Amino acid sequence: MATLTENDPEFVVNENALEESVAKQEENQAGLAVKVLTIFGGFLATNSFIAFCIAAGLYDSAGGLLVFGIVFIVISILLDRFYDRLIIDTFSVTMFASGLALAGWGTGALDSDLNLIPLSYIGVGIIIVFVARSFILTFLSILLINGSIITLMLMNSYYDLVHLYNTICTLLVTYLFLNEAKAISMNNRFTELYGPFRIGLVFSLLFGLIVLGKKGFIPVSENLVWLSSIVMFAAVLYMVTKILNIMSVMAVRMKLLVLIASGLILLSTVFSPAIAGAILILLLSFKVNYRTGMAIGVIALVYFISQYYYDLNFSLLTKSIMLMSSGSLFLLLYFFTSKKIDSNEEL
Amino acid sequence: MTKIDREDIQLISRHSNLSQKGIEKVLKEEIYSDQKNWRQFLKLIMISLGVGFTAFGILFFFAYNWADLHKFVKLGLIELIIVSMTIAILSLKLSKLTKNILLTGTVLIVGVLFAVFGQIYQTGANAYDFFLGWTLFVTLWVLVANFAPLWLVYITLINTTVILYNQQVLHSDVSVFLYTICFLINGVFLISFIAGNKLKSKIQAPGWYTKTLALTTVVFATLGNIVGIMDYNADGWFALLLILSASLYGYGIYYSLKQQSHFYLSIIAFSVIVIFCFVLIRISDGQGMFFLISIYVIASVTLVVRQMLKLQKKWKG
Repeated sequence: MATLTENDPEFVVNENALEESVAKQEENQAGLAVKVLTIFGGFLATNSFIAFCIAAGLYDSAGGLLVFGIVFIVISILLDRFYDRLIIDTFSVTMFASGLALAGWGTGALDSDLNLIPLSYIGVGIIIVFVARSFILTFLSILLINGSIITLMLMNSYYDLVHLYNTICTLLVTYLFLNEAKAISMNNRFTELYGPFRIGLVFSLLFGLIVLGKKGFIPVSENLVWLSSIVMFAAVLYMVTKILNIMSVMAVRMKLLVLIASGLILLSTVFSPAIAGAILILLLSFKVNYRTGMAIGVIALVYFISQYYYDLNFSLLTKSIMLMSSGSLFLLLYFFTSKKIDSNEEL
Repeated sequence: MTKIDREDIQLISRHSNLSQKGIEKVLKEEIYSDQKNWRQFLKLIMISLGVGFTAFGILFFFAYNWADLHKFVKLGLIELIIVSMTIAILSLKLSKLTKNILLTGTVLIVGVLFAVFGQIYQTGANAYDFFLGWTLFVTLWVLVANFAPLWLVYITLINTTVILYNQQVLHSDVSVFLYTICFLINGVFLISFIAGNKLKSKIQAPGWYTKTLALTTVVFATLGNIVGIMDYNADGWFALLLILSASLYGYGIYYSLKQQSHFYLSIIAFSVIVIFCFVLIRISDGQGMFFLISIYVIASVTLVVRQMLKLQKKWKG
């Protein structure tokens, strides 16, 4: 940690408090494996609980379902609030998911407007984002909010609003990834929830991309698909300028050349914003060295590119020529830039 | 001093007067990718996209129905590509990684060769012998290159061959037998790689690779055991799978404890929990049982998480 102290003589640490926090964190900090296990376990338990409700014929009383659902959700929030411990996460995830399912089921059975279900989910999600303390509940709430927004759009046939959704998600994700220092220095609840916000928003963006990435998945207006691309192109090109800085490319001509080349490559994907979105997730995650994000980015990129070519209404021959020319372009870029990159190394 | 991570920076920030600029600087120096990382990353992305797009371009090219092209010309063209790529790999001065990626591309084109062969002689595009031929003829390259992504392609090919053989020759559905065979194949590869990692530093398989393989193996074991439990006429294969998967899980737990890895522990634990759920369903599928299962899942997952947190504390010292 020498770098922290050496250059700043006024650096002061409250050592006792720090040690205490380290001890608490060691007890409560879990790796990805534990988090995934908790979520999977919670959903498995929820499934069998719902199976129990169906088998026991609980669906007879809409009011009962609704009341139980709300009680379950409140219990999960209270548990999270007052026992900020990883140990109870599986239980609280189960309560939370079962509560949502029961409440949604009850609302549906009440013969009310079905829009009420996603709308109330958004409300629950927002409350939890403001009061929750745990990683998993915050993460699930962000998924809940954004998943419900998409559901609302689909239920009411406002398909083209997905571009607005994608634009907002892209901006949020980019802002969040590039302002980690700011989030940490805020030193409030948000600092601790930065992790679940980041991964939650990456998944939310992914939802929006998947909806667009598979042709015919939803009936969006085909001549408006490029709308989502605008913000993604801008974000990717902004990342390219950041990368040029890191690579210490100073010459203006070189910078312009790289930007134009990247722009042209991106332009070829203008009708498949999902591809540019996956590239953005990959670049952002690599920049901040965030492995989960990188894995998501790579898998998404491979999937969206395959889906794009699969959906393309050209003959196999045309597709083949397109693929081979893009392939040769990348190979040429590789051989050209590896020389350039390696010669830069000596500078 | 060990490398500091994000959480450390967060904690220090909370209990000190570290400024936003300071945090930014530490993040850049200690956590974020530097110029060297970016250089490797960009090279890797470009060569992978280049080889990937080209190989699939070639695949699509030959998938197009070239009615006028004589079969010898078709096959000859593909063989020409394979031979020239192999010569290029052997003779050009490229980095080992580039050569391996090119070889992976060539392996895909061998698949094209078999597919076109199947197209000409009407053996069908998804016949198991197409995948068998493909697998057999690239084995030597896979061994020589010893490149993790290529191994993954290879193991996928073997699994596909086995599953198609089961369907097309044995005319059998999914069964304990099929899952046992798949479990055995993936398990043997997994153990060989783990043993290889120990024996020779040259055979180091990357973590994501052994983890993917382990996940596949555990999925096959879980599915096999579930089918075995729910099948009222379970045969000797189920007994074999039970013994083998129990032994592998035992070894897996031992290995995780030694490697201090949460990953293997969690997938094994989850698999066992799921399998046991089906034991409970087999006993009774009444409404009470589903309630019991949800309690059981919560309790067992909580217990596992608690144990893992304890281990983590111990590992961190």
